Amino acid sequence: MNTTVRQLILLILISAGVLLPSFSFSDDCTNIDEATFTEKRRPFVCFIHDEHNEKAGLEEDCALCHHTYEEGKLVADESSEDMACSECHAKENDPKQFELTATYHQRCRGCHLEKKEGPITCGACHKKAK
Amino acid sequence: MYDIYAIITGPLAWLSFAVFLGGSLYRFISLYQLARKKDGAVFQYMNLAYALRSIAHWLTPFGARNMRLNPVMTVVTFSFHIALFIAPLFVFAHVVLLEESFGIHWITLSDRVADILSMVVVFSCIFFFARRIMRPEVKYLTTWVDIVILIIVAAPFATGVWVFHQWAGFPTMTLVHILSGELMLAIIPFTKLFHMFLFPFTRGYIGSEFGGVRMAKDW
Repeated sequence: MNTTVRQLILLILISAGVLLPSFSFSDDCTNIDEATFTEKRRPFVCFIHDEHNEKAGLEEDCALCHHTYEEGKLVADESSEDMACSECHAKENDPKQFELTATYHQRCRGCHLEKKEGPITCGACHKKAK
Repeated sequence: MYDIYAIITGPLAWLSFAVFLGGSLYRFISLYQLARKKDGAVFQYMNLAYALRSIAHWLTPFGARNMRLNPVMTVVTFSFHIALFIAPLFVFAHVVLLEESFGIHWITLSDRVADILSMVVVFSCIFFFARRIMRPEVKYLTTWVDIVILIIVAAPFATGVWVFHQWAGFPTMTLVHILSGELMLAIIPFTKLFHMFLFPFTRGYIGSEFGGVRMAKDW
């Protein structure tokens, strides 16, 4: 094996060592309904479910987000963790999913404003890759 | 941050819409009454055909002699006015906010186009500023109010570009962006920005007088 090939292999190994952890890091993000947005217009929000709920003290309060509605009325004691938000809030044939987007924004920002905690401006959630 | 955001996006937003609409209505009524009282001839000479003829020429790029004499100014001012309206009305982030507040949405610009249009507005304002201080005939007419108005118009677009690219300090800049947009809207009725509504009437009258009385072109 000549020196160039050995150096190349070494370089690949080092790159892999540096890059792999950063790839696996993104596993923490819950990619909520990502597939529903066929036309993505903003960097996807990295929502780290467990970390967020621990910080916000929501471990017992699943139904705050995972709510259940029946005939337009909130069902108090029921939650819907087994459903995706898009099952109710998405519109068919809307690649930009305006309604679903608005639902997320109202849910996240609304709560953050109320609790005066967490991000509220566009870029604070939709972070551009550095 | 949270309280300021809530005030800027809540009561202040409604206030700026109210001042814009109410102020514009007030200015229309008061200017109409003033014209009736002091310049009755305006109403007698007003002629729809001559008015529309003049307006059409001045709305067409290079459609007036003065525009051909100042080609750079013509290109900049037309690009500026088009970008000024298209960018804020059709930028994706604004249309999403419309859906959130009123449940309506319409077509949106691609991010790249919106970005370019916003920069067109900012660079046009810099051009207008330079023109105001460099050309003697324009400098003579310029007061500090004109410069402040230019800054107020450029601000929402400059901060919009800033926020979109997420440059340093963008969360605070988001608030400045919203606030400067509201400020721009609110000053329209009370500054020369009111030409956005007055233009058809001033141009229309000049067109009527030149067409019907002086028998001459005014473009």
